Amino acid sequence: MSITPPARPRVLLVDDESGIRDALAPFLARSGFDVLTAEDGGAGLEAVERHSPDLVVLDVLMPVLDGREVLRRLRRAGSQLPVILLTQVGESFERAAALEEGADDYLNKPFDPQELVARIRAILRRVTAGQPALGGSTGLSAGALRIDRVARRVWLDGVEATLTPRAFSLLDYLMTHPDEVLTRERLLAAVWGFDQPVASRAVDHRVAELRKVLADDSGTPLFIDTVQGVGYRFLHPVALTPATRA
Amino acid sequence: MRRAGLALIPLALGLVGTIVALAAGDRRQIFIQWQLAWVWVQLGLLAALLVFAIVAVRAALRRRAVRSREDAVAAERAERRRFVDRLDHELKNPVTAIRLGLSNLPESDVAAGLDAQALRLTRLLGDLRKLGELENAQLEIAPVDVEALGREVAEAVGELAESSDRSLAVSFPRAPRPLPPVRGDADLLFLAVYNLVANALKFSQPGDRIELRGAEDDGWVTLEVADTGRGIPVEEQGLVWEELARGSHTRDVAGSGLGLPFVRTIVERHGGGVDLRSRLGEGTSVRLRLPV
Repeated sequence: MSITPPARPRVLLVDDESGIRDALAPFLARSGFDVLTAEDGGAGLEAVERHSPDLVVLDVLMPVLDGREVLRRLRRAGSQLPVILLTQVGESFERAAALEEGADDYLNKPFDPQELVARIRAILRRVTAGQPALGGSTGLSAGALRIDRVARRVWLDGVEATLTPRAFSLLDYLMTHPDEVLTRERLLAAVWGFDQPVASRAVDHRVAELRKVLADDSGTPLFIDTVQGVGYRFLHPVALTPATRA
Repeated sequence: MRRAGLALIPLALGLVGTIVALAAGDRRQIFIQWQLAWVWVQLGLLAALLVFAIVAVRAALRRRAVRSREDAVAAERAERRRFVDRLDHELKNPVTAIRLGLSNLPESDVAAGLDAQALRLTRLLGDLRKLGELENAQLEIAPVDVEALGREVAEAVGELAESSDRSLAVSFPRAPRPLPPVRGDADLLFLAVYNLVANALKFSQPGDRIELRGAEDDGWVTLEVADTGRGIPVEEQGLVWEELARGSHTRDVAGSGLGLPFVRTIVERHGGGVDLRSRLGEGTSVRLRLPV
């Protein structure tokens, strides 16, 4: 009797451009994934049904059924399937909206293929450890900290805290990417919607605001750890909680 | 012109009245007597009305000319924006495919060289979309202390190599009162002011002086960054606000050609305006106006 090797994670790639599919599929396969492709949103949804992939890489801009609509349908059907969106360029609010609609991450075309693999692995690490993906969640908690991602509200020890909209988006992004080292550039692009080197101090300001509200000591942090010269990392384990409706 | 047409309505009504009266056989006469002396006043009044009408029409025409010029400039900018967006959109998939294709090749000098060029294209696309990002970024509006922001910029530019041998003076009013806060996005306004001061440092020589000044004027807060740097030739001053435009005299200084377009985009998103005055060889002054 032979021992079956551990299953390769199955990644579904949905993009209407054959040039992208033909080049990305072999690259992902070489990076250790079992790759399926679909050429439009409808075929993508069908492939999700039939092959139950572990993760979907989804192009936003596709004719008929675009990536965001596919994502919306998945989430509406209650699926927590991890999704990485390849977003439309030049429309930063689209990215913020994409994260709010339940994408686990996004990348701007043209992206660095290695970066895509790193993001896929970061998400699958949680899934293979038996933990749920966080992108499609409505509420999260980390110890005494709890956030409602739908109503965008925060509680610490059951007491509601007030955050500026950007500080909330930053906390949301940090908590949905726990234990990942997030560079200032990546946080800027995801939360602020613009990515300028001199703006990185804006990230530091907001982290300082978060630490103050969360009573988190930067020396011995419970939640947000400074990664010297790089960026930040959310330390505390994160769990799903149902969103509380007021 | 439609409003001028409205003025003809009473005339038309009067004409109709006369025709109806004539048709009804009304042949009554009315005699009005004037003292001759009053005729001069009447003539004067008529002449005044005529002059007034001419002045009003000419002012309206001038306003329309200015407006159509502004419309044309705005339309041109929007057109440029759309073109850049289209370019970006059409290039992203091929460039993505090229980068992916290269990463499938075995490692070699040729592949590495091609990858470096593909990376350059990626960066160019990134630069092209930066203005679009700013135009679409969600602002987080809150009261901003402009003076604190100016001092933070001064501190941040201290990290630039050029700041070691140029002097930067920051001045904000104390009398009759400090600057009132403006409503805006502090992170974006920081970027705008930082870009201006960094520009002033870049286009100046060791020993030059740069001044960052704040002032308040009738519902506006103005921030001015002035330098004793190399200045900009008159014929290129209109171009500095256009993306990727780099003047002939700036070839020796590295830059994206996006600094000032950024600044303008940020300030205009706050309902403000920018202007630049410069003399070749003497220096440049850029002013931001932000509504209080």
